[in-house]
Amino acid sequence: MCVDAEGDLAQEHEALIQFVYMAPAGLVQARSDGEIVMINPVAAQLMMPLSRDGSLSNLFTALQDIAPDLRSRLAAFSSPQGMICDGVHLPAPGGTKGEQRLFSLTLIKLDDSRVMAMLQDVTWQAQRERLLRLQEAWLHAIFTGVTDYALISLDARGCVAEWNDSIGRVTGHGDDVVGRSLAVFYPEDAITPERVLDRLHEAELTGWSLDDGWRLRADGTRFWGSAMIAPQRALARDNPFAAALAADADAAETGYCLIVRDMSGYRETTETARHAAVCDHLTGIGNRRAFFDAAETEMGRWRRLPRPLSVLMIDVDQFKKINDTHGHPVGDAVLRHIASLMGASFREIDRVARIGGEEFAVLLPGSDLTSAHRVAERLRAALESQPAPTEAGPVHCTASIGIAVMDEATASVDALLKRADVALYAAKHGGRNKVCGPSMLLAEPG
Amino acid sequence: MNTHLALEFSLPQILDRLLVLDAAELDRLEFGVIGIDADTVVRDYNALEAKMAGLSKERVIGHPLFTVVAPCMNNFMVAQRLEDAAAAGVALDLTLDYVLTLRMRPVKVQLRLLAGPGAARRFVLVNRKL
Repeated sequence: MCVDAEGDLAQEHEALIQFVYMAPAGLVQARSDGEIVMINPVAAQLMMPLSRDGSLSNLFTALQDIAPDLRSRLAAFSSPQGMICDGVHLPAPGGTKGEQRLFSLTLIKLDDSRVMAMLQDVTWQAQRERLLRLQEAWLHAIFTGVTDYALISLDARGCVAEWNDSIGRVTGHGDDVVGRSLAVFYPEDAITPERVLDRLHEAELTGWSLDDGWRLRADGTRFWGSAMIAPQRALARDNPFAAALAADADAAETGYCLIVRDMSGYRETTETARHAAVCDHLTGIGNRRAFFDAAETEMGRWRRLPRPLSVLMIDVDQFKKINDTHGHPVGDAVLRHIASLMGASFREIDRVARIGGEEFAVLLPGSDLTSAHRVAERLRAALESQPAPTEAGPVHCTASIGIAVMDEATASVDALLKRADVALYAAKHGGRNKVCGPSMLLAEPG
Repeated sequence: MNTHLALEFSLPQILDRLLVLDAAELDRLEFGVIGIDADTVVRDYNALEAKMAGLSKERVIGHPLFTVVAPCMNNFMVAQRLEDAAAAGVALDLTLDYVLTLRMRPVKVQLRLLAGPGAARRFVLVNRKL
């Protein structure tokens, strides 16, 4: 009898083990210092490619590159137990071929000594959701109050084809705007001639191209707006207003519809949602996901039509020492200081992001090595001369910067970043507080 | 007679030697052995591996390795390498450091991935590091 009971228990135990082995989500139980006590296979599958030292002994260490703030978030969580984060999206390398993935992380404090984490790969779900959101935005843009719109007919090159009242109402331009590129509605540093063509091309490919951001009125003032470009034929099918526009346009010439919508009133709500998804929690600049999304898009544009494209990798010098000397809050203030200098140093079209603990990256569309080097050097010098204001007083910090320039031999975003990383390493190796690019590597072998 | 006892985890050209062993002989080896067929379904699962993982053979044999038995290996570090070797029709003999979640404890191991271009079986060998 006793043997049978024990046998049942063993069977049950084995079934339970297999249940957790096969659970389609990563589960980890750790001590409050991050030491992993229990971990199931899916968690290991997702975390092994992230682990720098090939071990999975500490949860916070294993996730440091994609979620550098877990340790401090747990420390800052004062309740005896509860949800620290719920399904936070984290961009991560780690697909079957090492391509960019999106993980979802939930972290729960069980008590003072234990936490539980759930990790899932949600790459496909996120892509589906994004497409849905885009469609929603498109419908929203078409069917909501028409008085906020300028409906603008563009020719095949993206220049304003004719004037109407709505253009005057929303942008303040008179009929002298006819014949000028749609770039006239953007602030100077927010668009390039190449980007205008990219948007037309994307509209042609997918049926529309939609972007939110600052727009420019004729008097030089800005307003927050969305701009949607669609080929006239595609729009005419679905929308009576566009059909009217298309009917007026010269049928022999393929053109586009541009709808510029003044969204001043909506900015706060749309921006808050956008901010949470694409911005780094600590510094407010772009996060890793936003950077990789933008880099993939830019890479696609480059392949279609090669043009200068550079990337900067920026690493704070001796950051560990700053943390060790002054503590994490001061380290955080230093990171925020750097982010704010970066925000001020680059154009609006550039993508500025924090992609790791003390690692930043900037994507510079339209910039060749010379201009990338110029802005990198400007940032380096600004950092050197302006100490970070912190609770411990001004803290002097510097950064090393590596530059890579896109070329035919570069097959992926990862490959481009790796080359920037090599240049960054050379800058570190050369004594830190330096900017290094590919030609400098050739000039200084070893 | 006792040739299988001489088999060590790191023995060169171990694939040919493993292919001729039956289940009882695999059970006497001092490292974990998982044998999969062309469809990655588990065909061999030796006693040591069963003991380390806490799963009996009956629960494992006949199930796909990377989804049901060891999802932790389903990434570019392990599964993709076996797939790539099969797609290219080349031999694979690669030893790598890895962490398995044996009975939910993270355990440092060495994995040895073995595949031959024509062989019906591919193997993942597991050596527990001390």
